Amino acid sequence: MENILELEQVCKAFPKTNFALDQVSFSIPYGSIMGFVGENGAGKTTTIGCILNTISKDSGTVKLFGKEMSDADTDLREKIGVVYDGDNFPSYWTAEQLSRVMGGLYTRWDNALFHKYLEDFRLLPGQRIKNYSRGMTMKLAVAAALSHHPQLLVLDEATSGLDPIMRDDMLDVFLDFVQEEDHSILLSSHITTDLEKIADYITFIHDGRLIMTASRNDLVYNFAVMRCKESQFLELDPGDILAYRKRDFQMDVLVSDGKEAQRKYRGFVVDHVSVDEIMLLLVKGERV
Amino acid sequence: MKGLLKNNFYAVWSSAKIFAIFMLLLGAFVTLVVSQQLLLFYMLLGITGFSINAVAGMGKDYISKWGKYKLTSPVKRADIVKSYFINELIWLLVGVVFAGIGMGLSWLLHGCPFDRSIDALMMFAVGIGISLFTAAIFFPLFYLGAEERNGAFLVISLLCAVGIVMGIITMINLMFGAGMSNWQIILGTLLMLACALSAFAFSYPVTVTVFKRKEY
Repeated sequence: MENILELEQVCKAFPKTNFALDQVSFSIPYGSIMGFVGENGAGKTTTIGCILNTISKDSGTVKLFGKEMSDADTDLREKIGVVYDGDNFPSYWTAEQLSRVMGGLYTRWDNALFHKYLEDFRLLPGQRIKNYSRGMTMKLAVAAALSHHPQLLVLDEATSGLDPIMRDDMLDVFLDFVQEEDHSILLSSHITTDLEKIADYITFIHDGRLIMTASRNDLVYNFAVMRCKESQFLELDPGDILAYRKRDFQMDVLVSDGKEAQRKYRGFVVDHVSVDEIMLLLVKGERV
Repeated sequence: MKGLLKNNFYAVWSSAKIFAIFMLLLGAFVTLVVSQQLLLFYMLLGITGFSINAVAGMGKDYISKWGKYKLTSPVKRADIVKSYFINELIWLLVGVVFAGIGMGLSWLLHGCPFDRSIDALMMFAVGIGISLFTAAIFFPLFYLGAEERNGAFLVISLLCAVGIVMGIITMINLMFGAGMSNWQIILGTLLMLACALSAFAFSYPVTVTVFKRKEY
């Protein structure tokens, strides 16, 4: 399957803060949504910075549409829509002014589509952005990102700060976007329930390192958590353990195949696991 | 480029509007009273005020994430810098027009406001020089790390620009001595403009180089 975005061994160090992205590699196939999960400061925004060239990587390759993007590759950026968390646009602008600026930046800017989104999202074109609520500014950013007909949407915490109803509306918009088979989304978020709803793949990052990439179906239907006592834990085959965490009187053990674990370890409690819990176990748990 | 220029225009417009109203009122007063000093002040303020306001507008892009967002749009970093330089020249022209109209009206109503009519040229050169030197110093400084402290760096750039212009004037005076001829004044004006334009032009690649290294 061809990939719209490929990262290979991307490294970036920030000596002042002692943080580094360490050999981050993942790819997004055309027509899919990749959830990018990690706690605050895990390296999600830095990775996105490396993808979009707002940060220069130390080593590794980032290929967008099969090509490494340089500052001069404006044609590639025509095909990318971006939404950052928070204020994407100057607060003294109106949506109408935003449309005029974007129309001058993107050759395929679709003013009619933008106004349709404004109408759908119930945003007033003449109202100053500073008078928008947080949810409204995020909706405006999504409308702007979609209105130049991009193929790849890069959303950095785009749904954080939205109420559940608004988030659901946004997720519908994103699902609609990937109906076109050459469209894809990279959605960084720490609201894992959103990703469970729409992502095809989920990549976990922690402390600048990629922990795991798995398909959503795999995570939801195959991954499981085994609850056991310490004595039972010692009986487990280390090869089955992805991560474990000691709780008060039990051990939680993350396994990649719950059904197999149930067959292999009779008498153990095997529960379904949410993406949230997987993240917790991968981040806060220990590895064998 | 069109989008970048519109962006710069919106950043400057709200404060430029207020400054323009102030300049109109001051201009009306200046043309009514006969005061050479007041007219000189009006001209200098007009030429430098609009362009410095334009330079200051650059900081507004970085209050929100727009400065970072722009980098993800189909424009080159060099074009973003170029748009600021063009914006500066546009607003400098607006300032020159304001100063020119004020001076023209005063001249029309009360006669030549200068000791010699040729002195007007040097007055424009001084204003343009201060504006261009300020921008030439401020633009690279802004990207060198002054985004959060751009107010202070703008004042420093302005003071440096005034110092440089005074230095050039002193040099011209030393070269030609007292009681300069018309040709010497024209030559001095050209020298001032050449220095300012050279600094402005040189500042562009320097700013681009600094900006290309900047990470967001």
